[in-house]
Amino acid sequence: MNRNMDDEMKHASTATNAGKKYWLSLRDRAGTPEYREMVAREFPEGTAELFATMNRRTFMTLMGASMALAGLTSCRRPEEEIVPYVSRPEEITLGNALRYATSMTLGTDVHSVLVTAREGRPVHITGNTLEQRGGTGAHPWASASILDLYDPDRSQHAVTGGVPSTVQDFIGTWTPLFTKYTQNGGTGLAFLMRPHASPTATRLLDGFRAAFPAAVVTTYDPVCDARMLEGHHRAFGRALRPVYDFTVADVVLALDADLFGTEYGAFEHARDFAARRRVTSPTDTMNRLYLVEPGLSQTAALADHRLRLPASRIPGATAALLHALAARGLAVPAAVLSAATAGADADATWIDAVAEDLLAHRGRGLVVAGRGQDSAVHALVALINALLGNVGQTVGYAAQPYAAESDPAALADLTMYMRAGKVETLVILGGNPVYDAPADLDFRGALASVGTTIHAGTHHDETARACTWHLPLRHYLEAWSDVSSMRGHLGIVQPLIEPLYADGISDIELLALLSGGAPAKGRDLVKATWQQLVPGMDDRAWRGVLHDGLFPRAIPLETPVPDANAVASTLRPALFTPPALSATNLEVTFRPSPAVFDGRFANNGWLQEFPDPVTKLTWDNAALMNRRTAAALGLKDGDLVRLSISGRETPMPVWTMPGHADHCVTLTLGYGRTNAGRVGTGAGFNAYRLRTSMAMDHGIGLTAGAPFATHEMACVQDHHGLDVERMAREGIQERLPQLYREGTLEEYRAHPDFAKERVEMLPLVSSWDEHRYDQGHQWGMTIDLNACIGCGACTIACQSENNIPVVGKRMVMNGREMHWIRIDRYYTGDVDNPGVRVMPVGCQHCEMAPCEQVCPVAATSHDEEGLNVMTYNRCIGTRYCSNNCPYKVRRFNFHNYTADLPETVRMAQNPDVSVRFRGVMEKCTYCTQRIERGKIAAKRDGRPLKDGDIMTACEQSCPTHAIVFGDINDPASRVTAEKARDRDYALLGEFNLRPRTTFLARLRNPNPRLG
Amino acid sequence: MAQIFPERVNKLPGRIALSGGILVMLVIAGIWYYGSPEYTDVGYMPAQPIPYSHKLHVGELGLDCRYCHTGVEVSPVAMVPPTQTCMNCHVSIKADSPKLAPLRESWEKGTPLRWIRIHKVPDYASFDHSAHLRVGVGCESCHGNVAEMEEVFLAKPLSMGWCLDCHRDPDAHLRPLDQITTMGWQPPATQNEFAAAMKAKYDIQPPETCSGCHR
Repeated sequence: MNRNMDDEMKHASTATNAGKKYWLSLRDRAGTPEYREMVAREFPEGTAELFATMNRRTFMTLMGASMALAGLTSCRRPEEEIVPYVSRPEEITLGNALRYATSMTLGTDVHSVLVTAREGRPVHITGNTLEQRGGTGAHPWASASILDLYDPDRSQHAVTGGVPSTVQDFIGTWTPLFTKYTQNGGTGLAFLMRPHASPTATRLLDGFRAAFPAAVVTTYDPVCDARMLEGHHRAFGRALRPVYDFTVADVVLALDADLFGTEYGAFEHARDFAARRRVTSPTDTMNRLYLVEPGLSQTAALADHRLRLPASRIPGATAALLHALAARGLAVPAAVLSAATAGADADATWIDAVAEDLLAHRGRGLVVAGRGQDSAVHALVALINALLGNVGQTVGYAAQPYAAESDPAALADLTMYMRAGKVETLVILGGNPVYDAPADLDFRGALASVGTTIHAGTHHDETARACTWHLPLRHYLEAWSDVSSMRGHLGIVQPLIEPLYADGISDIELLALLSGGAPAKGRDLVKATWQQLVPGMDDRAWRGVLHDGLFPRAIPLETPVPDANAVASTLRPALFTPPALSATNLEVTFRPSPAVFDGRFANNGWLQEFPDPVTKLTWDNAALMNRRTAAALGLKDGDLVRLSISGRETPMPVWTMPGHADHCVTLTLGYGRTNAGRVGTGAGFNAYRLRTSMAMDHGIGLTAGAPFATHEMACVQDHHGLDVERMAREGIQERLPQLYREGTLEEYRAHPDFAKERVEMLPLVSSWDEHRYDQGHQWGMTIDLNACIGCGACTIACQSENNIPVVGKRMVMNGREMHWIRIDRYYTGDVDNPGVRVMPVGCQHCEMAPCEQVCPVAATSHDEEGLNVMTYNRCIGTRYCSNNCPYKVRRFNFHNYTADLPETVRMAQNPDVSVRFRGVMEKCTYCTQRIERGKIAAKRDGRPLKDGDIMTACEQSCPTHAIVFGDINDPASRVTAEKARDRDYALLGEFNLRPRTTFLARLRNPNPRLG
Repeated sequence: MAQIFPERVNKLPGRIALSGGILVMLVIAGIWYYGSPEYTDVGYMPAQPIPYSHKLHVGELGLDCRYCHTGVEVSPVAMVPPTQTCMNCHVSIKADSPKLAPLRESWEKGTPLRWIRIHKVPDYASFDHSAHLRVGVGCESCHGNVAEMEEVFLAKPLSMGWCLDCHRDPDAHLRPLDQITTMGWQPPATQNEFAAAMKAKYDIQPPETCSGCHR
């Protein structure tokens, strides 16, 4: 153990509680014998049983059936047909992929994506690299939207009064209404849509308003930035959006902002933030992140200092910061200073240290408030950034002329009109307000007072069922539209596939129909907008836009000066004197799910099974609270309780999480859908039932009843434990720092090789002649732990690329999830306020692979390019390899998971990758299909293969470029350069496995004052 | 005590063992041969919707393979031609032939023809036509001399062992790139030198490890 380790251990012993520095989960910390036994087993006891209720009779039935089938299939040679085109589409070459650029939107947030299509069907989505700074990889939501396209539960025809109908029939219904409302100016007509950032929708909506001036037009999304925009409206007089530039920010303070998780532009933030963490030499600098939040967020994984504070105390903390800045000599306007009462809850030393750091980095610092905070906090933050001279440097502001933002207050007004009988006809375009509108509005009840309700959506969901008309909306991969980003770039949304279902209408087509009375074609509508928007848009330029997917326009950011008096007027005293919290007066915070967002992705199997980066729960949400709060309430993990606030009630299971503020409960939105479809219906519990207009993001007064049942949860945190036996033997404290290697920037500067010396490396001797891997291509990978944000984009991209099955909640509980790349998450330090460490682990492709030595049938072997390959058809399912794999990255098909895949979902499969059958082991292949394709393409073109020609799916999707793949035999490749860095280390390198994947150690940049 | 077995039985156990052994070997050899794709698959010639004659089109009229199989140089799959390709000529040639009725029907109604697949490697094996053509492996090496086939049948076993034979020693199957589609091509006397030059020029190292074909 070296000096640094000694220091760490000393620090560990001074930590509170048990003094454990590293731990896996709260269950691990408790360290019960049951837990030890559970992690030591690869799978929970009894999981090898096929069915819990297997008896002799079921066994005979199954055996009999399989014998009969086996007998039948051997009778004749299977006859396969070749069905060529009648007339071949010009651009399609069978067997080769085509890529199209398009855009996906979430509210007004734009994802510029590149979609791979095979034989006319989209099969994979990744980021558009033509975007500014090389794009932002592919968000899990973007990657998984492929599955949404092929969702068999998508609505396939119009419905009226519970009877199937067609869009054509709807046009017949609309025509008389159109005539009526054009004559009366739209009195009695209301229109509710999701927020959008589409120039065409903006144009058509203007047309709608012109045609029906008296109509009510509202936009609503349950997760939105309305309070931030309101705050900026107060400070600047206009509802501007901030645009952050993390590449120039040295010090960042995030106030209840999940900057790299679910906030607006999270992946762009992550990419720019991580760019300042690519420390390559001791002379490099690194940014520093302070985080104040009520519950553990994904952003906590990157925080250098984290303060846990109830959401209701964050205005007080912001005021405290303002006072600390003023005390250190910042000229804060007196009106604001006197109106902002510093809260006493926030650690004064902590706040002062942040103030000092921000002042020392004027113009290179940045303060960000999260969307859940009050408008006053946003106004105050805008003022602080202006006073610190950060505006124009790390933050600028932009008005989005082509976007309509969500406005929950307007939704409340609309429901009021509906209830008052002022709305005769309501059109709901997208969205699911019956499910996700604030509970106090009782949107479903208000719908009953409206004569004709028309809902257009991709699914026949909760809202569709409550409306008189339902129209099937096109998926974005089969419709035309456009987008505008907050930096002013324009983007195109173009169809990749003919609509899967004949009956349907796209959102802009519906808008055009409503406002013009006659159907129009999406492409013509978009083209008409762009001809106005971009001067000189000829055919050639248009084709260029379709090719690139975007049209770059440089719109300079604004640097408005906030009005101090206006900011002061927003600071209501009540903000700074929140009621005291207690076990009977809890604070509740609502957060969107990193998996299913606000519930719109609830029927997506990939996302349901995607482990929440924070809780590691799949298929469920829960009331998250810390152990102390749970103990005070007499609750434990999995207890089902009734949560109630201001007379509203919902059942919710309890899940303890370290890092929460005391008496704070976080509820994840998006679950508990009743009409989501076969995947999403019934998964989790509906937190919207507690969410009211007055407390959209957090509120006080939550109470929890006594547990009335137990809910089983599928949490993957303790699955596939790395090196658990040795951890149990030697203690996790000694072992984990050797697995997850980290140090401070200071430590690194003094001792650049610290990562390599965390483990004492004995001379490595092999017991046999080693194979030399020095010829041709030799594939390898590096993962920079300093850039990884633990978002899981790699997991979903890999699932899409490699046809990885969804196994379901019960299977996940048995430890059978199939993800080839998982994100290991460790906690470090204080149990009340831990640090979070994340580490993506897939097959490491060891040159001396232990799995290969125990396979009795040579189903796993090495190829000449250093890949550890699986030959599925040789595998007989002994699972010895998985047992012998120290990284626990091998996944076994316990069942034939793909047998009952609906026909449409099969269309989402990658035709280049074998679909595995029951009884077969599988694992990361470094995307061997892409390697072979890349090599063949280079050979076909007669050129040498160059670095970057072959990218694995995980690498391509990574927003921060933490994953680098390439040829380690090529001295000029990026991966060779990464592996030469001093932070590079091999996970379990001391076993002489020679993994081809190596990691770059994590660095922290703590403020010396806070230690 | 009298002997139970007469003397002539003495050699019986040996004979039984020997004939048993021979029988076992015969059975193995039988399965080996009769169960192999060489026996079971080669010669497979299902009835097609149109009795299309490669002998006529390639052998006598001299059409190049790539006139119809357009994907073969750029894609993993060679591509069976769309109806349109046939109609390029048959809109005027043999326009009334009863044998071509399914073709005309396909063209008029826009319904595809449904051919029966003959050349098939298992789903878990990925074969790439373009990779083979690019380095001078001719069509004939796997498909046989289709110019002499009235109707196409499976000429080679397409088994893994057969693939590997060539991957281990491709010399005999490498041709000049302009002879790729030639049927009945004969290697010259200097084939060995030529193959060595090809291998050097195109960096030919046929993969023998699993990942070369199985993904």
